[in-house]
Amino acid sequence: MALNRASCSAEAMAPRRSAARSGGILRYIPRPFRRSPLTIVASLVVIVWVLLAILAPIISPYGPLQQDIVKRLGPPTEAYWLGTDVLGRDILSRILYGARISIPVGVAAVILAAVLGSIVGSAAGFVGGLLDELMMRVTDVMLAFPTVILALVITAALGAGIQNAVIAIMVAWWPSYARLVRGLVLAIKEREYVLVARALGASGSRLLRMHVLPNIVSPIIILSTLDVGHAILTFASLSFLGLGPPPEIPEWGSMIAAGRDYFDQWWIGTFPGLAILSLTMAFNIVGDSLRDLLDPRLRKL
Amino acid sequence: MNLLGYIARRLLLLGPMLVGITLFSFLLSHAVPADPVTANLGEQAAADPEAVAAFRQAWGLDRPLHQQYLIYLWNLARGDFGTSISTKQAVVLDLRQRFPATVEVAIVAMAISLIVGVPLGILSAVKRDSLVDQVTRVLSLVGVSVPVFWLGLVALLVFYARLGWAPSPGRLSAGIIPPTFVTGFLLIDSLREWRMDAAVDALQHLALPAFVLSSYTLGMITRITRGSLLETLGEDYVRTARAKGAPNLTVIVRHAARNGLIPVVTMVGLSFGRLLSGAVVTESVFAWPGLGLYAFRSATSLDFPAIMGVGIVIATIYILVNLLVDIAYGLLDPRIRVG
Repeated sequence: MALNRASCSAEAMAPRRSAARSGGILRYIPRPFRRSPLTIVASLVVIVWVLLAILAPIISPYGPLQQDIVKRLGPPTEAYWLGTDVLGRDILSRILYGARISIPVGVAAVILAAVLGSIVGSAAGFVGGLLDELMMRVTDVMLAFPTVILALVITAALGAGIQNAVIAIMVAWWPSYARLVRGLVLAIKEREYVLVARALGASGSRLLRMHVLPNIVSPIIILSTLDVGHAILTFASLSFLGLGPPPEIPEWGSMIAAGRDYFDQWWIGTFPGLAILSLTMAFNIVGDSLRDLLDPRLRKL
Repeated sequence: MNLLGYIARRLLLLGPMLVGITLFSFLLSHAVPADPVTANLGEQAAADPEAVAAFRQAWGLDRPLHQQYLIYLWNLARGDFGTSISTKQAVVLDLRQRFPATVEVAIVAMAISLIVGVPLGILSAVKRDSLVDQVTRVLSLVGVSVPVFWLGLVALLVFYARLGWAPSPGRLSAGIIPPTFVTGFLLIDSLREWRMDAAVDALQHLALPAFVLSSYTLGMITRITRGSLLETLGEDYVRTARAKGAPNLTVIVRHAARNGLIPVVTMVGLSFGRLLSGAVVTESVFAWPGLGLYAFRSATSLDFPAIMGVGIVIATIYILVNLLVDIAYGLLDPRIRVG
């Protein structure tokens, strides 16, 4: 139940028939990646988006706020590849600049949630007793609220803006990490090598650092990768609802919202959505493959 | 443990959980730094200390937090969710009006997901690595990754603005007189009065939002079905059935799918939360007067009695759906009851 958002099918791991048979450069790519062309494409998409985000100021044909009021609401042309919006701003440039917000926000929100959740979860699992019971009940209740609704209420209360949206996503998401980590810690705590280390007199912090942590890192990384796409999606939803950055800032969700009033100018809302779709899809594929690579046991989640 | 004992134990845990939900909703809407006074009175009135004091007293904001909560809980026990600050109506009444709209679209979306997703997932697993399988896998991945609000917008662009196949956003066309509010489900209410025009119109309005909302659950259910079936197809008992000469269809339906579909049941419950999350943005795109839109409006106006009400109702729906799923799971798989 805690792995609600992470649970995916085992399909991505089905052995592929078209494995790279020969050696060559492919040999250096981890196996699940090598065997699936889709994963390679998805990894490339992520890398390209990151590069586009970094290089946006250099490669964008126009500034994100630069207006060409005569050409406003213009369809895709040679000058404006993806058309212009209501103020005559270039959609392509705004999408490129939008990546500079969406990617860091998605990554930051997930890292914060993972760190907070891991601290609480490992404390609960390791200490046990009342702390564990309390943590479980708190996460039970929090997980009963759909994430977008929880994030929505928190952002509305804190005020619209990027930083508050990140905080809201973090608050809504740490419980699933706490549950995951707690479960893992509970299982590892009883393993023989941990019991032996304890019998040899290792301190609690040493046990946690040397034996427990190394074993919980990869599941956390897998869940995080799968979550980045979802975090980008949640942020875009909040932004679409008007709870993200102010409208002049180029952000994908609010760009789509701007397209709602212009049904005849389909390009305004359509292209930013394709940007979100390509990025979340790529993150989902990479996350799936990473799970096969690092921890096949998680398939069943 | 027998099944009844299992259900009783689950029901027993429901009580504390519901109290927890009310406490969390309360804290969330009261312990936030934002000031509901300014949000609800407006800048001008908020500058007037008397108006502010009157507002605070009227909503009990001048009392200590724990007292406020106990008062809220006491009222809640009598079915009183308080009064919405923005609609000036009892929150219960607001929720009663909006609840059926959301449930209607959520049920249809879930039905679409199951009716399309399960056969598609089975087909995809049986015809593994074929063209059908490849297309299904990509499509289900798109379904899981697509922003619902964007899909809704594009659907409106294509089917409403361009092709004119879909009606305008909303639950009914402007010319149709809504049926009397009995259940709140437009389909049921209009059929009750034999109003075929309203029933057909309601169905037409329902189709697009339901399809859009189903994108995530449809993708997820297809993926889970496929993955789980691939596993069961490799089991010994399936091979035995094949070896005994059972027809292919019988093996797939009676042996593999029967066991392979158990994870799908869990998925229905878990993805319901995502469905409710999606309802917020979908309802916003389709001007659908449901709980999601209500949650959004009350959150942005810091209408805390409404936020608490809608939060409690949505969380309760989610918990109840998962309770039903767990019970269904117990029925399908006796091993669960023991654990």
